[in-house]
Amino acid sequence: MSLVVPAFGFGLVTASVLAIASVGFTLQFGVTDVLNLAYGAVMTVGAYTAYLLNSHGISVWAGLVAAMAAGSLLSVLLNAGVYAPFQRRRASPITMVIVSLGMTLIIEFGVQALAGGVAVSYTTGVGPTFRAGGLILNGEQLVIMGLSVVVMVATHALLRYTRLGKAMRATAANRTLARNCGIRTGTVIGVTWAVTGAMCGLAGTVFAMDLGSFDATSTDLFLILILAAVFLGGPGQPYGAMLGAVVIGIATEVSAAFVPADYKYVVAFLILLVMLGVRPVGLLGQRQ
Amino acid sequence: MNYYLINLLIYAAVDAMACLGLSQQFGIAGVTNFGFIIFQAAGAYTAGILALPPDTANGGFQSYLGGWNLPFPLPWIGAAVVGGLLALPFTFLVGRRLRGDFAAVGLLVTAVLFNLLATNYRPLLNGDAGLSLIPPPLTSGSAAAGGFSVQPGGYQWAFTIGAIALCAAVFWFARRITESPYGRSMRAMRDNDIVADSLGKNLLSLRTAMLVTGGAIAGLSGGVLVSFINTWSPAAWGYAETIVLFAAVIIGGAGNHVGAVLGAVLVPVGFEEVTRYIPTSNNLPPNLIPSLEWVAIGLLIVVFLWLRPQGILPERRRVIRAGYAAAAGGAAAGGAGDAAADGAADGRRGWRPAAEVAAPAPSLAQAAGQQRPPALEGVRLTRDFGGVRAVSDVSFAVREGTLTGLIGPNGAGKSTLLAMLAGTLPVSSGRVIYGGRDVTAMPAFRRARLGLVRTFQLASEFKRLTVMENLLSAVPGHRGDTFRGAVLGRRYWRRDESAAIARAWQLLQRFGLDGYANHYAGDLSGGQRRLVEIMRALMTQPRVLLLDEPMAGVQPQLAHRIGRELVALCQEGMTILMVEHELAIMDEFCDPVVVMAEGAVLAEGTMAQLRSRHEVVEAYLVG
Amino acid sequence: MSADHGAGSADQAAGRAAPAGGTGPGPAGPAGDRGIPVAGLPLRADGVTAGYGGDPVIRGITVSADPGEVVSLVGPNGSGKSTLLKSLVGVIRVSAGTVTVGGRQVTNLPPEEVARASVGYVPQVDDVFPPLTVRENLEMGGYLLPRRQVPERIDRVLAVFPRLAGMLGRTAGKLSGGERKMLAMARVLMLDPGVFLLDEPTANLAPAVATALLGEHVRALAARGAAVLIVEQRAKAVLAISDRAYVLGGGEVRMAGTPEQLSASREFVDAFLGGQPQGKPATS
Repeated sequence: MSLVVPAFGFGLVTASVLAIASVGFTLQFGVTDVLNLAYGAVMTVGAYTAYLLNSHGISVWAGLVAAMAAGSLLSVLLNAGVYAPFQRRRASPITMVIVSLGMTLIIEFGVQALAGGVAVSYTTGVGPTFRAGGLILNGEQLVIMGLSVVVMVATHALLRYTRLGKAMRATAANRTLARNCGIRTGTVIGVTWAVTGAMCGLAGTVFAMDLGSFDATSTDLFLILILAAVFLGGPGQPYGAMLGAVVIGIATEVSAAFVPADYKYVVAFLILLVMLGVRPVGLLGQRQ
Repeated sequence: MNYYLINLLIYAAVDAMACLGLSQQFGIAGVTNFGFIIFQAAGAYTAGILALPPDTANGGFQSYLGGWNLPFPLPWIGAAVVGGLLALPFTFLVGRRLRGDFAAVGLLVTAVLFNLLATNYRPLLNGDAGLSLIPPPLTSGSAAAGGFSVQPGGYQWAFTIGAIALCAAVFWFARRITESPYGRSMRAMRDNDIVADSLGKNLLSLRTAMLVTGGAIAGLSGGVLVSFINTWSPAAWGYAETIVLFAAVIIGGAGNHVGAVLGAVLVPVGFEEVTRYIPTSNNLPPNLIPSLEWVAIGLLIVVFLWLRPQGILPERRRVIRAGYAAAAGGAAAGGAGDAAADGAADGRRGWRPAAEVAAPAPSLAQAAGQQRPPALEGVRLTRDFGGVRAVSDVSFAVREGTLTGLIGPNGAGKSTLLAMLAGTLPVSSGRVIYGGRDVTAMPAFRRARLGLVRTFQLASEFKRLTVMENLLSAVPGHRGDTFRGAVLGRRYWRRDESAAIARAWQLLQRFGLDGYANHYAGDLSGGQRRLVEIMRALMTQPRVLLLDEPMAGVQPQLAHRIGRELVALCQEGMTILMVEHELAIMDEFCDPVVVMAEGAVLAEGTMAQLRSRHEVVEAYLVG
Repeated sequence: MSADHGAGSADQAAGRAAPAGGTGPGPAGPAGDRGIPVAGLPLRADGVTAGYGGDPVIRGITVSADPGEVVSLVGPNGSGKSTLLKSLVGVIRVSAGTVTVGGRQVTNLPPEEVARASVGYVPQVDDVFPPLTVRENLEMGGYLLPRRQVPERIDRVLAVFPRLAGMLGRTAGKLSGGERKMLAMARVLMLDPGVFLLDEPTANLAPAVATALLGEHVRALAARGAAVLIVEQRAKAVLAISDRAYVLGGGEVRMAGTPEQLSASREFVDAFLGGQPQGKPATS
């Protein structure tokens, strides 16, 4: 029982990392209709970018900004160079998934070829430890949670209050009608990739921070958690992804208090499979 | 030195088997099974635990289920059986309801999940470390005998030849299934599953059969592999390995059996071999070459999907020559007679050669019409969509041997009514009576098998089947159209096939498309494709044919030809109900014509009569 | 046609939108004449042939609509009316022929550029953004406007459709059929385009609502100066408010004329009910 509260704390951290990643993923899917399984690979690039700077003595927090830039650029290139051309050819959704898997291989193992197969980690000051009511969290974890909240609020503000955000939602809802309104959906989609790519780079870095030691294929399993959160909340629904991330993040960690730690992901996987089988539009999705 | 070649050949055989299984699922049946690797893994594990002694042996350092030390060939048989059985629970993820890419993700996740469970739950299959010291077949089962590589050269060559022979057997089997009418139905399902369903194909049964078959083949390949390498662990079957197999099938050519083998040789095997020849240098990091291998595979996948998605060896076009029918053509009367006899035996009326029909008066209609019982009836049919009532309390009867038209302005409910009669849409209330029998609860494919068949408004030909294959795919009750029939082989279903081909040629000639018989249906013009669809419906020997806008987008001349042929068919005994907008066609060919407006039947009569009725004119102009 | 423009000459000189903070939203209630003229633009389609990738659905269509006119396109189903509108706004590709708006070529421009040419299009289905609120839908309609003008434009549009004012916060997906159509019309009104293309705006509406939509709102669009091209199934109802009409059949223009001319002709009824083909050769 006394394991549950600290586990809950870990759950919050996992949920925070997951939230940043899932909201980016779901936004990408909603606006562009591409189930981008190379998302984990882009996260890896972000993590390694920060590592590159960090290994030269630059603070990992500054590296984080570089990671966002790297993620953004890579995602825009990925869309412009690979996904958009296939979409113009009206490739089937299955073909797009297989293409994204191919890109995953190229990007992840490209990083591995360059950076080596050995696990690395950031050098950071972990900072003071905070305790409250059974929760034990260090400074770094608190910053991650804070970042996550910032990203959620910023996403909400973007989507609800800015013209661009509304144009993104309109493009996601009905692309042709958006064009009839004069919205240059091609540009909106490009900007979406840039913004969500930045979120992806950020997610990769905080993921690596939380994991401790990571290598080029560390995000493979995490991608499944992202998919679980996305499908739980409803693919394309940003608020759904936030909800899903909290549920999956906490459920995963809390279950580790009851079952051997290696099984904690099983909960997430089962949730994902059940959602796909029973309600593919997710908890917050609307049946088309 | 020899060991190198043996190694190469065995891996080639195993990978080729796996790719053949995957090609059956992905290339032929159109099922994208990203969990494919699990089946191979399950087979390997099964063969392992069947062949191993109990886990207390060898010092008890492993922990696993089973361990019955069974002799060859039981471990391999067990591998295939488990691989096949494991496929059954997967059928729910590959149903039509789920979007293709979502289903693929689900399967991928399942594969990772199983891998996770196997890795972590040690008592099951020795967890992370996996199974080792698996005895090779036909050797003494103790650890002291060592592994495969310790066996004498003769044994190793025998094993290799056995593996290749097994692969050849799998190839032969896959070929037999695919090149049968059953295989044709699978390919039809791949191209357009909704239409295949309406033609009477049992989609669930087809997909399940392919998942099980592919699973069994994958399992067998796993069994063979594990007997060779004597160990098996979760590291051997991660999600990367599934991607490699997909890459192999895509590059080699999905849907082509030789292509599957080629892909296996080029990708999993080829890569291993090529990297052997790259000079290693101490300056390079040790993981560089393997990493680059993966990058190369990823590149190949993307490049192939862009430049040549059909693969190096694309799916073969199945050509059926006229000579085939000419030989059977002399027997065409006999063939058609056979078909008619078969039809009669099933209680289904096919066409009869003109001579046999008690020919009714050419102006069908009035007098003769009144006396015949209704072939199809709708009784108080209603259909609601949310709050909107699309069809409201419609009752009418279609008399046998008539070409009845169904017209009305947009939104009148014509297509909805047709769909309810055909069974592709359930009724909200009311009944559908076909030949005196209440079929309201019966799904579309069963109604189709009873002779109540419909066509569709939108493009519904099977694009990657030839015109001839499109027609043949519709033949009901074909002996070759079951799994059993496919396995029993050509000799078993040859007669049904020749009869069907003969009928198809007759139809093609009748409608003037015989020159296009071996063209892919997807390559034809819009009007021609409409014709294919009608002919395909006719191949089912329907008693009642429901046509949904058959003339849409068709040139007037062709439309007239179709109309004349339809009338001729009715004279031969068929009943046709046709929804159309081209009212000139109605005028010339249909009698009676039923007008619907706002979900209800407005009037019935000939076009000339209807045109003079005020409420009909109003309905059209008011909309 | 006979609506009088209550706006002052200053507005007429300014052409399009009212000067900022200028004349108020006009009388509330029935749309009628809101007194704010619009620079209508003439629409011409010449010999347009288009389809969905295979054989063309429409062939050699020539139609036009001038500022201040309501021109209707009627015809039996499958005659290509919706296809024509889609080809005019760039949703499907034109394989032959030209489309001009105000003399400017817009053939095969992407839809977002056609919108910038001052063309407003209301599709038959999928005509709103369901997950966005009513207000957000309107904002999207006014996407091309300078941001400052949007709130004021929304007020003006709400004056035309007062019922929407009470639902600004509601998600569009939750509106009833009639309310959605209103929103769709209001959305396109935000842009105040010189040309309106309406695809069966009364489909699925109750007859009374349909009559009101056509008689009040659609007529008002032309009354203010825009060119209106409207596709409709309800031939009689739409002819009653039209200045001219075209009858389509089998992907071609079968007849053209004023409503009086058309209603009087026997051919008109035949065109709908499939009488004798109008002098067309049997081959082609």
